[in-house]
Amino acid sequence: MLAKQTQQKALHWLGRQLFNRDDPEAFFDPLLERINPMWVQEYTPARVEQILSETGDTKTLVLKPARRWSGFRAGQHVNICVEVDGVRRNRTFSLSSSPLLWQEQGLVTLTIKRLPGGLVTNWLHDHLQTGAVIGLGEAFGDFLIPEPAQPVLFIAGGSGITPVLSQLETMAAQDYRAPVTLLYFVRTRDDVIAREKLLALKARYSALTLNIIATNESREPRYLRGQDLDTVPGIKARQVYLCGPKGLMDLAQGLLSERGFADADIHSTFFSVPSANLGNETLGGEVQFESSQMMVDSEGDATLLEIAEAAGLTPRHGCRMGICHQCSCRKTTGTVINRLTGQTSGPGEETVQLCISVPRGPVSLDL
Amino acid sequence: MKKMTEAQLAELETDLNAIREEVLADLGERDARYIRRMIRLHRSLEAGGRIMMPFGFLPPVFVAATATLGIAKILENMEIGHNVMHGQYDWMNDPSLNSQTYEWDTVCTGDSWRRTHNYEHHTYTNIIGKDRDYGYAVLRLTDDEPWKPWHTLQFINYILLSVFFQWGVGLHELETEKLRSREISWREKLPFLKQFARKGGRQAFKDYVFFPLLTFPVAPIVLAGNVGANLIRNLWSSTVIFCGHFTQDAETFTEEECEGESKGHWYLRQLTGSSNFTGGRWLHILSGHLSYQVEHHVFPDLPAHRYPEISGKVQAVCRKHGIHYNTGSFAKQYGTVVKRILRHSLPEKLMGMARAA
Repeated sequence: MLAKQTQQKALHWLGRQLFNRDDPEAFFDPLLERINPMWVQEYTPARVEQILSETGDTKTLVLKPARRWSGFRAGQHVNICVEVDGVRRNRTFSLSSSPLLWQEQGLVTLTIKRLPGGLVTNWLHDHLQTGAVIGLGEAFGDFLIPEPAQPVLFIAGGSGITPVLSQLETMAAQDYRAPVTLLYFVRTRDDVIAREKLLALKARYSALTLNIIATNESREPRYLRGQDLDTVPGIKARQVYLCGPKGLMDLAQGLLSERGFADADIHSTFFSVPSANLGNETLGGEVQFESSQMMVDSEGDATLLEIAEAAGLTPRHGCRMGICHQCSCRKTTGTVINRLTGQTSGPGEETVQLCISVPRGPVSLDL
Repeated sequence: MKKMTEAQLAELETDLNAIREEVLADLGERDARYIRRMIRLHRSLEAGGRIMMPFGFLPPVFVAATATLGIAKILENMEIGHNVMHGQYDWMNDPSLNSQTYEWDTVCTGDSWRRTHNYEHHTYTNIIGKDRDYGYAVLRLTDDEPWKPWHTLQFINYILLSVFFQWGVGLHELETEKLRSREISWREKLPFLKQFARKGGRQAFKDYVFFPLLTFPVAPIVLAGNVGANLIRNLWSSTVIFCGHFTQDAETFTEEECEGESKGHWYLRQLTGSSNFTGGRWLHILSGHLSYQVEHHVFPDLPAHRYPEISGKVQAVCRKHGIHYNTGSFAKQYGTVVKRILRHSLPEKLMGMARAA
């Protein structure tokens, strides 16, 4: 084992000398991709085996990642990358299948809802075909089932059901010995994602109580209310898992803290919602410099470079006019506007030029 | 330098911005396909050259292997590395094509290049005293620079610089002229020298130690071929780069006239300080499209394969504003470079006398 590691280290060192890059194994990727895209080394390639329609606006992708992928735990998410019109786009989605499916058949699923105006989700829905290969990162996230078993309450909304599907499948398979309740909020009955799967789970896993609530079928919207929680047996002893749109998450947080729940017993995971549509004149926002562990507020059309310098940081830069790219930096989240072109960036991880990028809303930088 | 009013410069800026924005709006799959094709070609040539090299005991194979590896290095340095490091493909969001992390197959480190070339040279283009690329502190190419006796033999320096070009470029940031004048100390340059030694060592190890030893019985042949491939790349890239700014009509500027300049003035300086050469498609590709030096200097971060497409529009803007668009055949442009090096070997007075006689 040790010998193998040393050997690998030596090879990696040699690769760096020969190919001038920290990931020498990816040097021949552009050629390999042409021969067999599953041989690409830079990311874990995953072949689209099947595309299933869940609802009118939600599809499940069945993926077969290359065997070197490290697997995941139920409730975790994963970054995928796809190339849309020459631009690589990274987005995070929850894995909706159980880790057992990966262990037994080498498959994982992502259940993806079409977001209005969403560049990647719409592309996935409209252009991704069976047989295509997309990039997969390693799984991450701590939205995990309690071990050893404890009573659990899931509150999910819309496509926030995806990590919960993975968790319920896993719990059913290992016959998780504690009461499990799912409150699942959907706009209308037609919007229930994975209805058959949920019903089948309920039939074969007796510990599960399933309560699907349509919010928009009555005249008055029917949102989460205190009574929904109070009727859950033994609610006080439950670990609560939240995943859904911001409105539902906020409502649930409020009701739970009213009932004296400790923060440690509430687990929530982010759920991608399209950011509020700010007008073009609404510039500035909270800028987080991750490596410097610093957070500053900005107003107006100050550029990221100016904001960083005002905060006492000295990012590498050159011309300050968008020519030399000395100041190019990784943006991990948030939207910026290019001062030269007026163009708005995507919300995901990408490289931006600090000297001509103006934040629009909160932005995180790898700086 | 051509004199233009601030209003005219603002109009020039608007005209050129329009060209730039049109290309930016159109960037997409076509550009991604182009650069990936170049990368695939480079990988194939590099692998092909390395595999053929040990069979170089057959003279025709030796020639083919050396040429293949030389062209691979040219393609990687000029069309891929130089252009990627300019940020031409940053919009693709591909970590392998990121301007700030790309490391190329030459002695100069990517970081040093990004400082001396992308920032200094492209910001202060042809400003005597600020653009250290102007003559590389080795050559006197304008009468604005005072003549010194050692300039008499500068043609020899030029030949040496071309032959060892990758080492010259690698050491450019050492600023030997400032070390000699004690303006800066060796201690300040220590971090740079460490980086230089690391990258230079890596490049020398690869071409002059590892691959020759890997094929031990024919090591001298492989070593000779690798030296040859590096030489081919050195001579070619030096020649292309010299044709970009040192042709007869390429203008130089003083610090005073560029103080607090507008973007329009910067554009004007790029247009008049650069020079193109004409040729076939592969000549352009192997020059990294620096044959379109004018377009490159005006729009350094647009994908270079777009330069031929926008050249007509740039020329139209030049005509409209009465700006000389400097171009000519490769032979003609290079001829004026050689003449310029020779002419400035001697002091202005002497040249004037020679002309009068």
